Parts: sequence; C-alpha cells; structure tokens
Amino acid sequence: PSLLNTWIPFLYLYGVGGIFFFAGLIIVKKSGSLDTTRKSHKRWMKIMLWGFFYFMFIHAFLIIAALYW
Amino acid sequence: MENYHNIGTTVDWIIMLVYFILVMLFGSYFGKYNRTTSDFFFGGRRFSWWLIAFSIVATGVGSHSFIKYSAKGFEQGLSSSMAYMNDWFFVPFFLFGWLPIIVYTKIRSIPEYFEKRFSPSARFIATVLLLFYMIGYIGIGFLTLGKAALPLLPEHFTILGSTFDVTLMGVVVLIAIITGFYITFGGQTAVIFTDLLQGFILLFAGLFLFALGIDYVGGFNIFWNLLPAEWKLPLAHFNEPASFNFIGIFWQDGVAGSIGFLFMNMGLIMRFMATKSVDEGRKAATFNILFMLPISAIVVSNAGWIGKAISIANPDLVSPNTNPDQIFVVVANLVSHPGVFGFIMAALTAALMSTVDTLINATAAIYINDVHRPIKKYLKAKIQTEREQEKKELSAARYSSAAITILGVLAVLVFKDFPTVYEAHGFFHSTLTPPLVVAIFLGVFWKRFTPAAVISSFIGGVALMILGAKYPSILIAPFDHGTPMDLKHPYTYIQALYNTFACTVVAVAITYTTPWQKGIVESIRKSANAKLIFSSFVIASVIFFGVVVMNLGSVWLLLALSILLSILVAIATTHYVKYDEEAQTLGLTSWSLDKAKEFFKGGKINNREGEKVIIDWKIKEGDDDVIFFSTDELQKMSAEVGDLVYISDSRWYLGGLKSIHSKIGEPHNETGIIYITKDHFESGQFVIGKKLIAEKEM
Repeated sequence: PSLLNTWIPFLYLYGVGGIFFFAGLIIVKKSGSLDTTRKSHKRWMKIMLWGFFYFMFIHAFLIIAALYW
Repeated sequence: MENYHNIGTTVDWIIMLVYFILVMLFGSYFGKYNRTTSDFFFGGRRFSWWLIAFSIVATGVGSHSFIKYSAKGFEQGLSSSMAYMNDWFFVPFFLFGWLPIIVYTKIRSIPEYFEKRFSPSARFIATVLLLFYMIGYIGIGFLTLGKAALPLLPEHFTILGSTFDVTLMGVVVLIAIITGFYITFGGQTAVIFTDLLQGFILLFAGLFLFALGIDYVGGFNIFWNLLPAEWKLPLAHFNEPASFNFIGIFWQDGVAGSIGFLFMNMGLIMRFMATKSVDEGRKAATFNILFMLPISAIVVSNAGWIGKAISIANPDLVSPNTNPDQIFVVVANLVSHPGVFGFIMAALTAALMSTVDTLINATAAIYINDVHRPIKKYLKAKIQTEREQEKKELSAARYSSAAITILGVLAVLVFKDFPTVYEAHGFFHSTLTPPLVVAIFLGVFWKRFTPAAVISSFIGGVALMILGAKYPSILIAPFDHGTPMDLKHPYTYIQALYNTFACTVVAVAITYTTPWQKGIVESIRKSANAKLIFSSFVIASVIFFGVVVMNLGSVWLLLALSILLSILVAIATTHYVKYDEEAQTLGLTSWSLDKAKEFFKGGKINNREGEKVIIDWKIKEGDDDVIFFSTDELQKMSAEVGDLVYISDSRWYLGGLKSIHSKIGEPHNETGIIYITKDHFESGQFVIGKKLIAEKEM
C-alpha cells in the first residue's frame, strides 16, 4: 500500500489531532479547572496523556501488522 | 447491487419476539425508581461510573451502528473502525471543561446553558438547531433499523387478494409504531438499566459473531491472509474515494462528530449527569473511550470483514456485489445456526431501538425544558401545585415523544437516497453539528465570546454553510485536501471542515470587533430615528437570509450578503441584548469553575481530599435535609458542617441505585453511626440492617 494509505494519514491524525489535544490540555490547565497540584488531578493528567499515546500505539501497531504480517 | 429478502427462519423470529418482550419487562421493573421528572430525564444523579460506562455501550453501538460499519468494513476493511478510535483528542476539553460546567451549573439542557451564558435569544436559536440535530439523529436511527429489517422480510406480501410491496419507508413507519410501544415510560432509570443489560449482551453477541465467522473461514490466519493488504489497514486512503477517505472522516467524525457526541448529544450527556459526581462521570467517559469504543469497533465492523474474506474465498456464498448495507444480516445468517441468528439480530436491533429510545427521551427533555416551560412562563400560566405541574409535564413529555417520533420518520426521507447509512450519517454530522459545536466550544473556553458573536455565528455561519452546499466547487474545494467531488453528494465529509471554519471565522471576527459594534450602537442611539434604524437592521437581516436561502444572485453577491448579514445581526444583538460579561461568564466558563462549584454547593468549597467511610445508620425525627456524622467520621472524610455528602448502600454491585445526596449537619460523638431522616430512608430505598457508605462530594 502507498504512503497515502499508511503513514501520511497516521501523521495527520496525530499531528492535527495532537494540536487539538495538547491545546485542550494547556487551556484546561491554564484556566485552573485542571489543578495539577491536587493529587487526583495529577492522576487525571497522566491518564489523559497516556490515553493519547495508547491510541497512537494501537494505530502504529495495526499499520505495521498490515504491512508486514 | 444484490439485495436479499426472507433471511431467517421461524425459530429466529420467535427468539427475536421473546427477547424484545424480556427487555421491555426488565426496563419496566426499574420504572419504580422514578420519583420526579428529574428522575424521568436524568436518573437522579446517583450512579457509579461502571454502571453508566456499560450502559453507554448500547447507546454508542446503537448510534454508531453495526449496519453502517459492517457496510464500510466490507467495502474498505479495518479502516471502518476509524470513527471509534479518534475520540480522544477532545477528552481534556470534555473532562475538565464541559462536564463539570453542566453538572455544577445544574443546567437541564444545552439551550439552557446558552441563556445563562449569553441571552434568551441565543437559547431560542440553539433550541431550534439542537432539535434539528436530535431529530436528524433519530431519523438516522430509524433508517438503520429499516435497513436491518428489510432483508428479513419478503419482497411483497398479499392481504385479501391485494399485493403490497415491502418498501424501506413502509418498514420505517412500522418500526416507529413499535418504538412507540417499546419506549420505556419508566424514564431514564429504566433506560439506564435496560441499556446496561443490553450493553453486555451486545458485546457478547458481536464478539460471538466474530468467533463464529473466524471459525467459518477456517481460523484467524486464513481470515487474515484472505483479506487484501488495503483491507488490513486501520486508516483509510488519505483523500480518495469520495465515499470514504481519511481526511474527510477525520474532520467529519474525529472533529465535528467527536465534539458533537461528547458536547451535544443530550442522550449521552444525560447519562453522564446521572453519575453520582463529576469525577465518576470522568471515569465513565474515560473508560468508555479507552476500552469500550475499541471493543465496540470490532463488534460493529467484524461482519463486514468476515463478509469480505468469504466473498474472496467463495463468491457464490457472499457475492462481491452484495448491497453493503445488507452485509451484516447476510453474514450473521451464514455463519450462525437458526436461533443463534435470531438472538444476534434481536440483540442488535433491540440496542438500536434503545438508542432511538434514548434520543427520543432526550429530545422530549429539550422540548419540556426549552419550549414547553418558557412558553408557559411567557403566557403566565396559572400557578399550579408542584404535583399538578409534575403530572402535566410528564404527560406533555409523553405527547412530545410521540410527535418527535413522527418527525424522526420524516427525517428518514432526507437521508434515504444516500448510497449507504454511513454516508447519510456523515452528511448529517457535517451539516448539523458545526454551528452548535463552535458556539458551545467558544462559549466554554473563551470568556470574551459575546451574545452578538454567538448569534451572528448561528445566523451568518448557517448562511455561509448554505452557500457552501450550493456552490461546493467554489467554496468547499479550497478545503478538500485533494478529495474528488462526487457530483450527486458533493463533499459529504470534508464539508465539515468548511462549515466549522465558516462558523468559527464569523464568531471570532465578531468577538474581536465588539468595541466597534458598541461604538456604532452608541452613535445610532443618539440619533432621533434610532428605533427605526435598529428595526430596519433586523428586517434587512431577515431579507438577506431569505435571499441566500433562495439563491437569488451570483455566489459572490450572496457571499457579500452573508458577511453583511453577520455584521447587521451583531449590531442589532449588541443593541437589543443586555449582556454583563462579568456576571454571565462567572461559573459558566472553564476559567471560573471554582465559582460554579460554590454556586452548586451554596457556600465555600472544601477541596481537601478525604476517604470514604462505612457506617451504620439510625432514623432521626425532623424534616431538615441534613445528615449527622460523628466527629471521627468527619475527620476521616476531611469534611465540615455544610459540605455536600453522597450516601449509598455499601453493596458495590447496586451501582448507586439505592443512594441519596444531602448536606452534613452538626457532629455527634457516636462513632460509626449516622442519623438520617425518614425522608432520606424512603428516598434512598435503604434496607434495614445493611450498612451505608458515605463520601464527601467535590
């Protein structure tokens, strides 16, 4: 399959999607609604970040599996 | 394209009928937990996160349904799962922006937020747009149900010597009538528990079908090797074909759809509002997106993948030309035995019915809250007792549910000419979500966003969207990322990007020019004809909007009129709408959530983190809504007198069904015991001899 079917959509998804995601994280942190000095909010921050990379990993894994398995 | 009829046996039909009856009986049992219209619509804010997370599965799988994803799985492969795997980008905005705001401000519907944050006129337009969105969603649900049922029915049937053709619209009307009986008048609590049961069954049925399919083709390795390389990829081709491409799906589903689903879908929002606290709502949403959606992607798509593999191995069994919207039914029938097929079809159609049910319930909530009550208030209806009013509103909710069902059926007419349900849903999301998505988003996260800007983005933005739909090759083409334009349904998906862009540009431009608008309004107010000038602005706006809708002129003239329309609406709104930025953003944007918490609690918030305590309880005389703890327990909970407290039966598996919210009263010295009132006991339906668990809210 061509790059237009594999890594280009992947990069666009996590590039543009990543801009939305990190903009959201920065806005809720700056506005004070996500207060990372609190233990429970710090944990939420970690969950949100790990969630982003979790989906990135799943997509990368599936692309590699489709190409080489 | 090959169409199928008469799929299934008598055993399948009997199993489907029995399943439906059992689900209805299950739902009506939980109707007894309704106490008020608040329970009817919101389930009374008491449930645990896991209960809500699983009950959302049926709603998520129902609306993002097995028919359309199996169709795309058959046509395109694993990339049919894209829509289930792109919802994470807006999670921070939802968990720490919109969710706490809707809970702490105690709004009953999205339009109500628009009134508090902007003005009654903004609420009115938001109500109109939201009702379009919800009724469109119901229409998509009916269309999917119709397409699921069609292959099961004969091509025509004979009654008293006359032969009638079985048509899609005929089936849809019949299904709508059945939904009318099916709708659980038990309200939200019944819906939550019915969906909880169905969520489990649905996941089981979908994964069971996948296992049967894999077994049918001879094992996973054979299945995987049968699929062409392009069918194994998780993301579609970047910009082609027009009917399914990555870039279009990203903007239509990943952006407009995700925000629409999390921020605008009242059915889903009402579920989150039924959780016992904001943090539980966060857990439910997170668990749902991280784990339930990827599993649901397999549940709803796998019939298409299996169908593709079989069509390659044995085209006589599944023709490569099978109508994609029928592939789910064809494959389910092929790989399962009679009876099992009936069970799978019953599980999936009942879940879809639940989705439509949830949406009708949510739309009725919007009608009661944003149309019925304001009209009553405007007409200064005679004061009734609370009980009389409750009774009248419940009956109005039921009548409006019936009217909404009829409108949902009519909405099917708009969608039924699209090649597949997937494209119909894509078109629906692209056109109906952007104005509200932009308005909610900027309203929550941007303090400077004004009523003039929100109303201009509604009216001017919609005018620009209508222009885009009429002149796609001029206005949408610059945004198409190389996507080919299908002449019959131009830019089904990527128009979401153009529409969002158009609404955002109007909203931002009008917000930044607020000082100019105020200057213009002030100078007009000084003139002798001020009233006439402002009235003429409103009349001109209506005329310009009409000219754009009726397409009376060249594209450039209409574009200029749309921009002029936005400016006139902004100036008129600045004049007519009283707006105090300080007061109307307090507690209503993510920048002042602490204020929202204070309003919610009715006093200073106590942010110290405490632990849960398990206690015995006794009933104390009195009517005050307070609960008395011992000093020791208050210390463990880090709680103070006046804090909000949530008390539930200590058996975790009840998920909060037996629970109440209250305030903490003056402490006593009997460690391990709390004092509650008779009203608390009845309201929480507590069981004598069973311990309770208490936790401080917020």
